[in-house]
Amino acid sequence: MGLFRKTCHWLSMTGRVFRNEWKLVLGDMGVLLFFVALPLVYPIAYTLVYNPEVVDNIRIAVVDNSRTKESRELVRTVDATPALEVYDYASDLGEAKKMMAETKVYGVLEIPADYTRKIGRGEQAHVPFYADMSLLLRFRSEMAAMTDVQMQMSSKLMPVSIDETPLSALAAGRELSLPVKSESHFLGDTEQGFASFVIPGIIILILQQSMILGICLIGGTSRERRRRDPQGLDPKAVNEAGPWATIWGKTLCYTVFYLPLVVYITRIVPEMFSLPHYGSPVQYLLFLLPLLLSSAFLGLTLVYFMKERESAFIIIVFTSVIFLFLSGLTWPHYATNRFWLWISDLIPATWGVDGFISINNNGATLAEESTNYIALWILTAVYMFTAAWVYRKIAVSSRLKALRKD
Amino acid sequence: MTQKPETGFMAGLRREFRRMGRSRAYLFGMILVPVLVAVTFMSLLSEGLPRRVPTMVVDLDHTPLSRSVIRNLNSNEMIDLVGEAESYDAALAQVRRGDSFGFFVIPADFQKDALSLRTPTLSYYTNMTYFVPGTLAFKGFKTIAVSVSGGVVKTALQDLGVGEQTMAGMLQPVSIDNYELGNPWMNYSIYLTPSFAIGAFALMILLMTVYSITMEIKDGTSPEWLETCGGHMPTALMSKMLPHTAIYIAVGSMILWLFFGVGHFPCHGSLLWLWIGMVLFVVANQGLALFIVCLLPNPRLSFSICALFGILTFSFAGFSFPVESMYGAVGVFSWLAPTRYLFLIYINNALNGYSVWFVRWWFVALMAFPVVAALGTQRLKKALEHPVYVP
Repeated sequence: MGLFRKTCHWLSMTGRVFRNEWKLVLGDMGVLLFFVALPLVYPIAYTLVYNPEVVDNIRIAVVDNSRTKESRELVRTVDATPALEVYDYASDLGEAKKMMAETKVYGVLEIPADYTRKIGRGEQAHVPFYADMSLLLRFRSEMAAMTDVQMQMSSKLMPVSIDETPLSALAAGRELSLPVKSESHFLGDTEQGFASFVIPGIIILILQQSMILGICLIGGTSRERRRRDPQGLDPKAVNEAGPWATIWGKTLCYTVFYLPLVVYITRIVPEMFSLPHYGSPVQYLLFLLPLLLSSAFLGLTLVYFMKERESAFIIIVFTSVIFLFLSGLTWPHYATNRFWLWISDLIPATWGVDGFISINNNGATLAEESTNYIALWILTAVYMFTAAWVYRKIAVSSRLKALRKD
Repeated sequence: MTQKPETGFMAGLRREFRRMGRSRAYLFGMILVPVLVAVTFMSLLSEGLPRRVPTMVVDLDHTPLSRSVIRNLNSNEMIDLVGEAESYDAALAQVRRGDSFGFFVIPADFQKDALSLRTPTLSYYTNMTYFVPGTLAFKGFKTIAVSVSGGVVKTALQDLGVGEQTMAGMLQPVSIDNYELGNPWMNYSIYLTPSFAIGAFALMILLMTVYSITMEIKDGTSPEWLETCGGHMPTALMSKMLPHTAIYIAVGSMILWLFFGVGHFPCHGSLLWLWIGMVLFVVANQGLALFIVCLLPNPRLSFSICALFGILTFSFAGFSFPVESMYGAVGVFSWLAPTRYLFLIYINNALNGYSVWFVRWWFVALMAFPVVAALGTQRLKKALEHPVYVP
């Protein structure tokens, strides 16, 4: 058989697997649940959870031992911050602590008795703030608010005290303020919102995980059919196709199936909730192509471990949580040890999340994301070979079973 | 005449142990995964607080004052200056490449303007698409910006002969000192690791409970199961689920031991109460899964609901984003998850050291789950008597 005929034969086999796979996907409600419902519903569910974006109006208690005009002004300043809300005054720290234990408040500001006297004398007044540490976001908002209060009080009180020094002569005629100003800029997630931070990354993980789950469900079900079949063959599969035609036919089917979902997840979801999306669609759609391919091949490789249909739930679902942390989104890579970095390198979503949020949130170009892009293509190649090996093994074990029957 | 096979609780128990021995899925899902996830998170987050955020500086001034700003940046504990970029664009490119999480810009003529009170502006940029490093870099940059500003005034005042003491009161009349209760190291791991580990544990209990019951329907063995237990539903369920309960409690105890024995996580409350909470949490999750199976005695639907619920629990249980800040309609879901209650018991009693009295209701809530589940068992009985498998 000539090379041309061989190629034609291979292509027609791939085409048959492709068509057959469509039938399998569309005929299996469980698979459709993973392939369609999950990518449609999860991004919305997640965004609804995080859409309030910022943690504000955290209730705190105040123990005011000074009870002066100045201390009340400090409390008013604290109350006026968007992040904090003075829930109540407590007569002493003991009462405040009880309010914390009842989770009525998540912080206590204790104004010392000598607060006003110190300010009047031009000394520094120290005000302790006791913060609840049970949630990072709450603590973070409290800290930022307290820093702002501190600076506001400074700029309010400083000109008064500086006026009393010779420095005021130097600044004659000019409004006295801090000699150096500073301004902060937030890149990618300008509002520092939680949904804006987590959703663009998580949707990439959803693409990978939902695809792997669906593929494993198909694989596990096929394994059950092979077990029941006297010949050890899956009657619903294209058994004449070789392993390469099988994995390519399947992968192309899944990839084509996912294209509209990718558009939905990367274009429509951010639009719906006004999440950051500055990147060019051409750039990130091109970027996501190897993510889809490598996820499909990884899924086909994992089919090896699927003893039955339900294995997909037991083996795959929990990995999402670990993959989220390994992706570097919630826990930075520079604080991750070598071993886990190495594992994370094997997961397509790690590269996918990093590259996609750079393009989507920070407006990077595909060229700037070349490391991530190349890594995704390398993973595609690696998992293509492992998937081919798995499907060869499946074919061999079927043939062995048939031989034993004879 | 053949002897009539023994029926009842003990027979059911023996049958369940035989079933568990036949499939490796039980070993994997009930023991391996929960322990593996706990160990993974402990190891992954062992750093505690990801300090030393890689950042850059753009110095457009090149004067002694700008050098001293860079020295300040270098000595800040939050950030790690990995290099200098010659322009804003170059620094931004590094951020996009992921090599740095932010940069600090010292403007041209900084020293000249600062010393002649012309108020130059220091700018700093942090990449908030990575929340934790972005936040830490922001914190480090802000500290430096404020201290530089103070430093300049200080130098000027010193020249005028103002004393050190007066100066502090002048530059920062009010200093708010933060005390991080229960976690002065600001260690994220001690609350992230346990919460994610129990979330994963809950997910696996839900899935494996559904697995153990619906496989009987799928394989058509459920009538035989009921028969072995004398057709008595409570006996059948008890004999199936109690062995699992025992295994889960052992696994849960091991996880607690890993945290507090091996990982030396601080416990300011009572370990015994936390353990009791864990036992109730195991039973609550079994109850929740049973309830779902009773409602939908079909493997596909009950598996999907449990997987969906188990995964979303990580979000709405409020590990990272507080429940009281969520939309009310979303926040209510958190109360349906046993994970939420054990999480509250953990952070309030073990982490913050509040008395058990303040978390009493969460124990009661956990106890409610199996009670609710018991109400639906008659519906399940019908499905078990006439198993229909829809893949």
